[in-house]
Amino acid sequence: MQLIEKLSILADAAKYDASCASSAAPKRSSEGKAGLGATDGMGICHSYTPDGRCVSLLKILLTNFCLFDCQYCVNRRSSDVPRARFTPEEVVTLTLDFYRRNCISGLFLSSGIIRSADYTMEQLVRVARLLREEHEFRGYIHLKTIPEADPRLIEEAGRYADRLSVNIELPTDASLQTLAPEKQVSSIRQAMSTIHVGREAVVNEPRAPSFAPAGQSTQMIVGADDTDDSTILHSAESLYGNFKLKRVYYSAFSPIPNSPKSVPLAAPPLMREHRLYQADFLLRGYGFKAGELFQGPGHLALDIDPKLAWALEHRDVFPLDLNRAEPALIARIPGIGIRTTQRLVELRRQRRIRYEDLTRLRCVLAKAKPFLITSDYHPRQAESSSHLLREQLRDRPAPQQMGLWG
Amino acid sequence: MICLDCDDLFATWRQQARWLLSHGVDPSQVSWETADLFATDQDLPATPGPFQARIPLALVEQLEAAARYRGQQRWSLLYEVLWRVSHGDRTAMLAGDSLGSELHRRLKQVSREAHHLHAFVRFVALAPAEGAAGQPEYVAWHEPAHDILESASAHFIGRMGRHRWLIATPRDGVYYDGEQLHYQRQCPVAWQQMAQQAEDPHGELWLTYYSHIFNPARLNTRAMQGHLPSRFWKHLPEGVLIPGLISEARTGKQRDGQAGSIGARQGKRIVTGG
Repeated sequence: MQLIEKLSILADAAKYDASCASSAAPKRSSEGKAGLGATDGMGICHSYTPDGRCVSLLKILLTNFCLFDCQYCVNRRSSDVPRARFTPEEVVTLTLDFYRRNCISGLFLSSGIIRSADYTMEQLVRVARLLREEHEFRGYIHLKTIPEADPRLIEEAGRYADRLSVNIELPTDASLQTLAPEKQVSSIRQAMSTIHVGREAVVNEPRAPSFAPAGQSTQMIVGADDTDDSTILHSAESLYGNFKLKRVYYSAFSPIPNSPKSVPLAAPPLMREHRLYQADFLLRGYGFKAGELFQGPGHLALDIDPKLAWALEHRDVFPLDLNRAEPALIARIPGIGIRTTQRLVELRRQRRIRYEDLTRLRCVLAKAKPFLITSDYHPRQAESSSHLLREQLRDRPAPQQMGLWG
Repeated sequence: MICLDCDDLFATWRQQARWLLSHGVDPSQVSWETADLFATDQDLPATPGPFQARIPLALVEQLEAAARYRGQQRWSLLYEVLWRVSHGDRTAMLAGDSLGSELHRRLKQVSREAHHLHAFVRFVALAPAEGAAGQPEYVAWHEPAHDILESASAHFIGRMGRHRWLIATPRDGVYYDGEQLHYQRQCPVAWQQMAQQAEDPHGELWLTYYSHIFNPARLNTRAMQGHLPSRFWKHLPEGVLIPGLISEARTGKQRDGQAGSIGARQGKRIVTGG
């Protein structure tokens, strides 16, 4: 089979993975050196596909032959898809070619399980080793880790890769048992722990060889089972805590060809995914706890963002005086982000904050104004009920053309 | 009104601004816009004036970056900021101030445009005969909206190692010979031709990848346009594919994510021994 045919099959097979990030790598440069590639910690999106997703890495499977039969996966063994397999050298060729063109910042390599977990993992590591050692490639490498593989192989992967990830796949153990019976929660957690321990071992050891310096991440599929958002975010929170993950990616389950009856054949829940990312950002960047975002079991609201939802439930905290309030609390006002908070704090060192300053700082004023006080403004809506405010502030779905035949 | 021309060079503007400041010339009395309607022939005083301004280093860096912005009032806005800060009003540097917010908007535009260079430049390899010593091995054509090429192109030295490469634009150009960066304010015509006429016989692989990594079930053209403004489409090899991929998604491929050409091929179920 021609390289270009393999590429079309194995890119098509890899498109369901959400992450394509090339960020958080250490500074590396090829200036004046043989070889190719640099990283500087900032990710670069070299293109965007019409789904609005960033193309930063060559995201590809080494092969889509797979022994497993995970119901949500297009490459499961019972799926009637065309199959292909790259040699490690072919992946190296493609990576270097796209990199020289400035189409990508590196490689994100994953694979179906062939022969055994160890064999598959060895093949992935071989690609990374070829790139780093034979071609002196200093760009970004993200390797997907096969959870059941020998920990020594995972350790070897960590020496070549910037980022390692193990997919948790589904938010609960029960769902994993139903939809991916060949996968074991225990081995997934064991692999995450191997990576975590590997990273901890080189912290504050400047002479130690680096180990996955851009950290580890995972992916959770949303909407393939009926787990609620509260469970999902609590599970993400414990992953951040236990394994110090850099990111949890949420992937709205996207319908697959020849879909088995066990998973939905429906449009991917993109708005739900968006709200989960917003809530996840509140956990990572704003000091929220998952428990604060939910009153009990259930989903995040789709028509308002999670920060606004929290503010509406905690009216006693608001309105906040921007000239006095703690920065951490200002960042909890809907429509005001971390960056704007910093700018407000800088500004109030020089003078009192006025309402018109907020327009210039590009706050989302419609959302923010019921919750704040400035030297010349006090919200009329401070007395409105949360119910009324929510009606005023919620997103309304765009009108839809009705079908002629219903 | 004092009318000045700095040839769009920050160093020249900086000299002029220092001079003006030392004479206490109010921003309303000076213009860098050529052919000013109210222009008089009032010239710069010959000797520096008495006023000694103390300028924070951070401000000089901000002004230099903001000077790369192409647009109306390019230089006079910078002088106004400089004037206010040197007279003790540091809010002019902050995004919350009305003048400062324009300064920060320009800074943001400029850094965004530098990022666009890093992201959307596409190098094409020249055939080996052309790429002999002294000639670039890789060439690219790019049309930046602001004057960021000189400061932002060093990024590619780290990426490309000892390779020789060239980026040509309608205005300026830059060539890296494997050891040193050569910047030309006026891009040589030969560079422009080399970059615009380069043939790319192996471009198919990237186009194939781009079409297949797109998931039509997630079609979201608004998000894409926000990140990848359509002014860049015509210079990206994948740009020509975009309208076709969108319409294919709208006419049925949204049901599942698979590309049409893959669904048409024969599939293979795997039978395991157990």
